[in-house]
Amino acid sequence: MVRIAKAETTTLRPREEVAELPYPSTSLWQDAWQRLIRNKAAVVGMIIIILFVFIATFAPFLAPHNPLKINDGLGYLPPAWVESSAAGVAGDSRFILGTDTIGRDVLSRVIYGARVSMVVGLTPVAIILVIGSAIGLLSGYAGGRMDNVLMRITDVFYAFPNLLLYVILMVTLRDTTLGRMFNGLFLLFVALALVSWVGVARLVRSSVLTLKGKEFIEAARCLGASDKRIMTRHILPNSLSPLIVWMALAIPGMIIAEAILGYLGLGLRPASDPNAFFITSWGSLMLEGQSAINIQPYILLVPSICVGLVVLAFTFLGDGLRDALDPRMRGSR
Amino acid sequence: MTAFLIRRLLWMVPVLFTIALITFVLMHAAPGGPWDRDPGRRQIDAGTQARLNEQFGLDKPMWRQFLAYVIGDFDGEGEFVCGAICGNLGPSYRQRGRTVQEILFSVPDGKPFWQSRFGYSIRLGVFALTLAIIVGIPAGIVSALRQNSIIDYTCSFIANLGVSVPNFVIGIYLIIIFAVTLHWISVVPRSWAELKVWIIPAMVLGFGTMALTARLTRSSMIEVMRQDYVRTARSKGLRESSIVQVHMVKNALIPVVTVLGPALAALVTGSFIIETMFSFPGIGREYVQAISNRDYSMILGTTLVYGVLIAFANLSVDVIYSFLDPRIRLK
Amino acid sequence: MSRKTLLHTIVLAVFATLALTACQPETVVEQVEVTRVITETVIEEGQSVEVTRVVTEQVEVEVTRETVQIAAADPTGASKVLRINIGTYPDIIDPQLSSFANEIGHLQLIYEGLTKLDAGLETVPGAAESWEYNEDATELTFTLREGLKYSDGSILNAMRFRDALLRNINPATAGEYAAITDEVLGAAEWRIGTEEVSVQGEEVVKASVQALDMSGNACEDYEQEDCRIFRINLSKPAPYFHTVMSLWVTYPAKAELITEGGPNWWNSSKYHVGNGPYVLQSLEPFVRGNFVPNEFYWDGVGNLDIEFSYLTDTAVAFQAYRNDEFDIIILAAEDLATVKVDPVLSTEAVIFPGSCTFDLEFHQLKEPFNDRKVRQAFAMALDREAWVRDVYKGLGTPTLTFIPPGYPGYQEGETRWAYDPEAALQAIAESSYGSVENLPPIIDTFGDTPRNRVRHEWLVAKWNEVLGVDIELNPVEPTTYTALTKDIETAPQMYILGWCADYPDPQNWLSVYFRSTGFVQDIGYSNPEFDALVDQADTTVDPEVRMELYRQAQDLLVEDSPVVFMRNNVNSYLVKPWVTGIVTTPQDSIWPGAIDPIGIDIDESLMP
Repeated sequence: MVRIAKAETTTLRPREEVAELPYPSTSLWQDAWQRLIRNKAAVVGMIIIILFVFIATFAPFLAPHNPLKINDGLGYLPPAWVESSAAGVAGDSRFILGTDTIGRDVLSRVIYGARVSMVVGLTPVAIILVIGSAIGLLSGYAGGRMDNVLMRITDVFYAFPNLLLYVILMVTLRDTTLGRMFNGLFLLFVALALVSWVGVARLVRSSVLTLKGKEFIEAARCLGASDKRIMTRHILPNSLSPLIVWMALAIPGMIIAEAILGYLGLGLRPASDPNAFFITSWGSLMLEGQSAINIQPYILLVPSICVGLVVLAFTFLGDGLRDALDPRMRGSR
Repeated sequence: MTAFLIRRLLWMVPVLFTIALITFVLMHAAPGGPWDRDPGRRQIDAGTQARLNEQFGLDKPMWRQFLAYVIGDFDGEGEFVCGAICGNLGPSYRQRGRTVQEILFSVPDGKPFWQSRFGYSIRLGVFALTLAIIVGIPAGIVSALRQNSIIDYTCSFIANLGVSVPNFVIGIYLIIIFAVTLHWISVVPRSWAELKVWIIPAMVLGFGTMALTARLTRSSMIEVMRQDYVRTARSKGLRESSIVQVHMVKNALIPVVTVLGPALAALVTGSFIIETMFSFPGIGREYVQAISNRDYSMILGTTLVYGVLIAFANLSVDVIYSFLDPRIRLK
Repeated sequence: MSRKTLLHTIVLAVFATLALTACQPETVVEQVEVTRVITETVIEEGQSVEVTRVVTEQVEVEVTRETVQIAAADPTGASKVLRINIGTYPDIIDPQLSSFANEIGHLQLIYEGLTKLDAGLETVPGAAESWEYNEDATELTFTLREGLKYSDGSILNAMRFRDALLRNINPATAGEYAAITDEVLGAAEWRIGTEEVSVQGEEVVKASVQALDMSGNACEDYEQEDCRIFRINLSKPAPYFHTVMSLWVTYPAKAELITEGGPNWWNSSKYHVGNGPYVLQSLEPFVRGNFVPNEFYWDGVGNLDIEFSYLTDTAVAFQAYRNDEFDIIILAAEDLATVKVDPVLSTEAVIFPGSCTFDLEFHQLKEPFNDRKVRQAFAMALDREAWVRDVYKGLGTPTLTFIPPGYPGYQEGETRWAYDPEAALQAIAESSYGSVENLPPIIDTFGDTPRNRVRHEWLVAKWNEVLGVDIELNPVEPTTYTALTKDIETAPQMYILGWCADYPDPQNWLSVYFRSTGFVQDIGYSNPEFDALVDQADTTVDPEVRMELYRQAQDLLVEDSPVVFMRNNVNSYLVKPWVTGIVTTPQDSIWPGAIDPIGIDIDESLMP
């Protein structure tokens, strides 16, 4: 007599459980994250950015002095380690990086300056990305008449001298409620955004134009995907690459634009109240330091180095993000 | 192609008109006028101001002033004076007696066009762009070929230094190094006829573009390197250098070349700080001054000139792109 | 042609153009010295005598060459050059249209007025050898020197000066300083009167300004050599008018050249034929301006050529100076400390009192500054010593009065409203507000530049410290700032303004500025007693009585304290040690020694 073991009885199982994957399945974003953190430079960049955000947020606790405190007679002190500046003055250990024209501590001012510079770097860029991408997507995908009209509108903005727009907006609206919000920063963001959105629109549009003809879009359309879905699910992620490159260069551009606008009398409004959130910016410090370069170069150098660090951080992070998010790299190790 | 070009050129007219209109409206909306000199100077009395406004037609209604600028108007003696469409960009309010087109384009007796203010700005822009390309493109290519190596990081670092540190900082330190310490050039150029005095201003101006070019070349090369046709070429057994040159670089340069036109336009129109620092006789400085001075004709005139420049630059993008990428069709 | 070939051709063309534009063979205008020997026959004491003159001329020659070598000092190597960096490039160099110090700096070299100022700010003969008022100072008669010539050798007579004065008053010219010669009979009517009044005014002016020959008849033409009397009728007694005639608005540019050159005449050196110590040889906008001595100048020929540069960045200019590329530059406050401790540079600093007073203006009709006590409180809460020492790094002197030291009418020893924190608080208590809490919001308005920001941040912090008042900082774009301050409706509550002397006479300070019809209209200041005093002083002929009246007026002004007098400026320059003969006066706001360029020389043995 043959006995049948119960264990040998099989039931039908779903196919997925049969095929064994060599590694656990992940989403696009998890995948990207993994790749990102393997890029050392990008990680360093992230750390630097987080560090500066930290400094900006906790400035009152980190700054050794009140950034607005005037120390009579202690103007243009060199950093603490200098024994004799161009004016023959020795540094003071109380003021590690020296003082400015009227004796305010440079280090404290730089720490507070991080606030404006971080905010002015990120906020307008966010606004621009939203407006620019929307218009670029629409223009590139729809094509024809709408594309033409939108592109001519961007032509007008493009040919428009940026400086003129800044001046006019700042000068005309400066004393209104809009102009006073956040020490004039809000108006600055609007001005910066209005001038720069065209670049993003064009970038996105040219990406879209290139992708539009590709097979996978055709395939998606065959499968019945709606235009909206195609735009958001397929085209947008694939056009991210040039956008990220743009962003990595735009952020420091904004920071420097704020500096140049201050040079012309159009930047952040100065604060007299030490409890205000935005006291000064790296841009204003750089401009103040430019004429003092022969006597106290650190007023100019320190904010410049900070700007440089932030830029590099964003650049490496940007590169890393672009590499990480490239859908063609998906699944590669 | 010709139909496309003609259509785009025709489109330029309404674009320029719109730019002129927006500029006109905005600049008159700004408080103050051309007779508001800087506070350190003596101000004009009301009577003289009224007289001046009459002389320059600033007392006429806005719409009339705009049309007078663009098309023309009858002056005090009843004669028709043509406006911008005839190339008359208006009288400067600050530099009394000179017209805007004279300030921008005129040359001292017997000198060639390149010696005009506008010519100087163009030359500086071209020089800066050349330096940017000569350094930026090879740097980008090398970075891409040796991705994530020390060379890549170094090139990235130097390229980004140019962008991150503002150009007035770079400028003054370069002056200190090369003029004061090394004595290779003088701090203030004796004459702009010599080539070597152009190098530092062009370098400082072009740093940003160099960074942009390097980055763009690098990312574009990386994209191309991953393409299938490169793999095919390699599998065919072609030499690496030939692959790099023939297949990769040519294709990678497409996005780079397309931005060159606008980059040049940006360089020519954005040289204000360099001009101040090096005492360079271009038009950037005057333009910024004009905005401060509310020199309406100067602002409108220079804006139109810039507008034409940028419009042509943008046109070049599409034209060049269509030449290089056969998949793009110009309609 | 295939796409590829076309593309290659385009690229090639582009690079070819790049290469071509970068290396332009330059056509350069060079100065070559040509020496001519002129033999003249002169009748002397009934005998004809041959007189030989040697004339050295600079002739312009065009040379085309591939490269131009850098010359450390000058292209010819023959004459000495004084290289000055004066800062901003002028907008316009036209005697009757210029108004800015740099523009005036150019004009002062090329032309000369009937009178001029000496080192002690006294009015001395210039092109005129003497002048005379009538009894009640309503008529001023100048006698020009004999044999005056322009730089091209042509005759300069009184008709030229008449042309210049008429051009200044002519409403068609519309210069910024047109109003400064309004004392001329009929000038105000012609300039700003309505149609009929203006036409009449024109006739009156043309009759009031006369160019006469030595016998008293009207001159006929520009060649008339004995046309040396210049007479002006004034609308009211104005015993200071001879000083006004030293101003640049009276400089005699040639009318036919102005017409020939058109509206743009001033931009070319060929139309600037003047009677001053120098000749404008060439002008490269924003780069360089070259002057050579005028051999026909009556007071002698200069020893060197002068070269102006227009670099506005003071830090770069300082570097250039240290690199021996400039002989004279403006010394900025930031660099003062460095200069003071440097053993070499500290000997090269030339610092002398300036011609300006800076004051804090209050809007007399807006709260809270319509209350005199509040104004005085703010005045007493300001430590002017610290202001000058810390913010201006010592460049300047504190002041409590209007007219600056060195100028006629200066009152020494003024002590009212000096720094006194307790008195300041006391004044607030005595005011209509009672205490700081009751004060309305106060806003400090200023033109937004990096230096101004620092200054006003300091001020606001200090007032907070002493008075406990919170002042809001309001930086505005500089042109907007000017527009705001020009009109009483829009003028801010408080703002800083400076007034610099046009000419050294108390009339230019007290009447022109503080009389109720003067510039203080914009803040609403009006004191009938003050007006009466200055009106009387303006028209008094006796100099001692005049000065006494002005003294009383200024006394009254300080007591009234409509503004807070803060600081007098100083002119600060760096001058290389091999430059000799520099004579400075407070009016030399453009470059030191401008008052007497003939006396300046360069000692080449001291040059590196």
